[in-house]
Amino acid sequence: MLKRPNLSIRHALLSGAAALASLFAVAQAEAADPIKIAVIAEAQAIAGASIPRAAQLAADEINAKGGVDGRQIQIISYDNKSSATDSVRAFQRAVSDDKVNAVIASYISEVVLALEPWAARLKTVMITPGAASNEITKAIHNDYEKNKYTFHGYLTSAELAQSVCDGAKDILVNDRKMKTAVIFSEDAAWTTPLDVGYKECLPKIGLQVLDHIRMSPDTTDFTPIFNKIEGEKPDVMITGISHIGVQPTVQWKNQQVPIPMLGIASQATNSTFWKDTNGAADGVLFQSVSGPSVAMTSKSVPFADAFNKKYGNFPSYAGYTAYDEVYYIADAIKRAGSTDSDKLVAALEKTDWEGTIGRIQFFGKEDQFTHGLKYGKGLITGMISQWQDGKQVAVWPPEIANGKIRFPSFIKAQNQ
Amino acid sequence: MLALQILVDGFAISALYALGATGFTLIFGVSGVLNLSHGALMVLGAVAAWAATNELHAGAYLAALFGIGSTLIAAFATYFVVVRPLQTSRAIPKEETEIFVLTGTLLWGIMIQELIAYFFTDNAKTVLPIVEGVVDIFGVRTPQNEIFTAVICWVVIGVLWLIVNKTRSGKAVLAASMNPRGVTLLGFELSRIYIAIWAIYGVLAGIAGVLLGMFLGVSSYSAGPLTGSAFSIVVLGGLGSVSGSLVAAYVVGYLETVTAYMINPAYRFIPALLLLVAVMYVRPQGLFGRR
Amino acid sequence: MHAMFRSRLFWIAFVGCIVALLLPLKVSGYILGLLTVAYYFGVFSMAWDLLFGFAGEVNFGPAFLIGLGAYTAGILNGYGVPVYPCIAAGAVMAVIGGVVLALPALRLRGPYFGLTTLVAVLIMMNLIVVFAGVTGGEIGLTVPDVLSVNADTNYYIALIFMIVSGIILYALSRSPVGLILQASGQDPIEAGALGFNVTKHKLTAFIISAFFSGLAGALLVFYMGTASVGTLVSISVGVQVIIAAVLGGRRTIIGAAIGAIFLIAAGEALRPLGELSTFIVSAIALVVILFVPSGLLGILTRGEEHA
Repeated sequence: MLKRPNLSIRHALLSGAAALASLFAVAQAEAADPIKIAVIAEAQAIAGASIPRAAQLAADEINAKGGVDGRQIQIISYDNKSSATDSVRAFQRAVSDDKVNAVIASYISEVVLALEPWAARLKTVMITPGAASNEITKAIHNDYEKNKYTFHGYLTSAELAQSVCDGAKDILVNDRKMKTAVIFSEDAAWTTPLDVGYKECLPKIGLQVLDHIRMSPDTTDFTPIFNKIEGEKPDVMITGISHIGVQPTVQWKNQQVPIPMLGIASQATNSTFWKDTNGAADGVLFQSVSGPSVAMTSKSVPFADAFNKKYGNFPSYAGYTAYDEVYYIADAIKRAGSTDSDKLVAALEKTDWEGTIGRIQFFGKEDQFTHGLKYGKGLITGMISQWQDGKQVAVWPPEIANGKIRFPSFIKAQNQ
Repeated sequence: MLALQILVDGFAISALYALGATGFTLIFGVSGVLNLSHGALMVLGAVAAWAATNELHAGAYLAALFGIGSTLIAAFATYFVVVRPLQTSRAIPKEETEIFVLTGTLLWGIMIQELIAYFFTDNAKTVLPIVEGVVDIFGVRTPQNEIFTAVICWVVIGVLWLIVNKTRSGKAVLAASMNPRGVTLLGFELSRIYIAIWAIYGVLAGIAGVLLGMFLGVSSYSAGPLTGSAFSIVVLGGLGSVSGSLVAAYVVGYLETVTAYMINPAYRFIPALLLLVAVMYVRPQGLFGRR
Repeated sequence: MHAMFRSRLFWIAFVGCIVALLLPLKVSGYILGLLTVAYYFGVFSMAWDLLFGFAGEVNFGPAFLIGLGAYTAGILNGYGVPVYPCIAAGAVMAVIGGVVLALPALRLRGPYFGLTTLVAVLIMMNLIVVFAGVTGGEIGLTVPDVLSVNADTNYYIALIFMIVSGIILYALSRSPVGLILQASGQDPIEAGALGFNVTKHKLTAFIISAFFSGLAGALLVFYMGTASVGTLVSISVGVQVIIAAVLGGRRTIIGAAIGAIFLIAAGEALRPLGELSTFIVSAIALVVILFVPSGLLGILTRGEEHA
């Protein structure tokens, strides 16, 4: 007899408890279901160290504003020690063990090329913040269904060459009436198309290519190379170097080679380059996608300053791109309404994002550089800076320049 | 003018090789140790000098001394922590001591290299040159730094020669390399001699490292190739023979320079490698080898 | 035979094998992948130990033999040759290369033999970079076929390979041939005086070492899907092999495999420490060498008499 009334109260209590519990469970599940982004980078290299840091900064900012539809972004970073094998292992671990939704990987072309087939096999989105080889987008264009998970979040070598030529046209040809150049690049995957691009666009802007020197990235003594170049008497050395940078620059200054350098020099974009070369960097002209105190877009300077405040130094070029990548991955997830890889790919293809380096849009399936960044005015143009007195001074394009070009005394540049 | 260019450039780089190789062969000749952490010790010196300039704002001279001092300390550490325990260990049979010391110094070198990369990244560093500017030698524009390097290398080698051949303790060291037992009979303490040789080695490697940092620059990745190149030069010249190392250093230095200038900088290391192979087959003990 | 069953070494190896065989049931694909690579390295190290531990010859360039096997297999596969013939070709090529290297090198004494092997690696590295058109240079060679995409399958292939190789190499080391090798290694003059053709036996050891190194190298290429100078033909690979063998316990064959697995597992376990992991692994290895020269296996079988 007593059971009947108890049963109904108990029943009510139980259902109430169950409802409450399930509400908690749902709330927990939602709150505990973060969006995981893996960051595989060369933590011991100056360019690479910025990548996980910038990504974390972006994640913190997004999370502070409530995350993506209530979900927090979690950055899981892996140091690949500049090794392709380690990167492959890290990628496998990230996907199978840590169950990440997307991967931001490396600034070294060889590493990204080794990872591309794995992104395809494991059907996981991968974006690179810094590699340049054309082969990355070529593989996507040639086998779209298989390789569509990879996105090239940096300028391809072809576009880099164009960026250098566009800058050189104003600075060297128009302002200084230069006529001849020697291409000076390291032997690596990304420089092969870069040099091809240089050989095409330099004559178009009025610089005759006298010679094309490719050197081993293991070179330590550049004296014979500089001597050879000097013998050919070009007006400028157009560079394509990334693995090397400190040593040739220091030797250039020590030997007082009277020819200026302009072009791609990844190490020159690092804020520590001046110190590493003990000031020999003075006068080096280099292309980049952004720089400290350069308002490429409205987001550039706030990012650089926030990075500097948090980590004590300005980010490398790959930091800017990694920061943007976290943001537009989050944006794509929001637009797709899911983290499913195929839906994410479709959403990413429609990216139209104002990042720190310019306006980010990707080429499509039918374009030559599928999933590469679009280059051009209003999108991403890159810029040219010069090291002066320990600072990176923006000298091109004129809209964002904050200084004039100045060469050290041993340089013979016309119309100084 | 090319010939003159090659002559000048080759001279400096050979002098640098000679200094590095001399230290390496000295340690082998006297204490029987093939120190595979050699390159790492040199890089340590250069990076320490760089750090002194950039973190402690020291001047060029002070930074150089700091670099040399660092290598000296590291050399002692190599001896006391790695080499001596292995050589005196009773658990290792006599004929295996060499392989253990080899592996031990190899590991030690890796540890130093990784520590450098951890604290200072693997980016290349250069040491603030003590001498700057260029000078004209018969139409060849040469950085004064290069001349400074060559001069210092030869001065140091000269001082070393004086010490070994003219001073009492120096001669003891030389004797110890030929007959360790005999030297103890004469009343010298072998352990003192070993400490002295490691001290000399530390200074030599330190100077070589700092000069290399000034001239070309180093990174933590340079450690391995530097050991390898010292190794090959010493083998070429004859393990244990200082004069052999000097000659071999110049042969290798000039072979590399000529190749870089006249054939292709990318093939710089190949002729020296082929020479090494040839010597190994024809005259394995090297040019002046005696062991 | 009974003595074998009583030895601690045998039981350690036996238990280890059982554990390894059962691992895929519990452990993630990622760790299996790690162990797969470790097992191949185990074979590299065991092959090295046969040569050093017994024949007394310090081979500084195991990477030369490994590289020959790996690149031969990889390049042939690029021309459309199916996987298994490629692997066989790789092993054969490594043997040929080994003979070419060993014939002159064995005439040299002591450290000079080691140096010749070192030079062989350096030359190979340079050749690979110079002929980048065929070999892929520093970027590396991507191989169209892989053994399998399944982590479990790959794991078992590597494990069985390592166990079989281990058994063969160990049996060799304990056989009359092995004893002669040991004698030649420790006292070549005596051995020669006793009428043994020292050089012929050392050459045999070299060929066997080359065969297993090349075979393992070729299999590894078809596991990873790539081959490059950095991963297979470099001094650091040689260094890892040597450290693994010495660390594990030289002259034991089994020790070399243990050393290799330890090195790779430790490197991975210390991954959270990021940049310091290599430093710590090297430091541990150094400490082991300093305090327990008989290596890890020595620690495990302490107090037991070896043959």
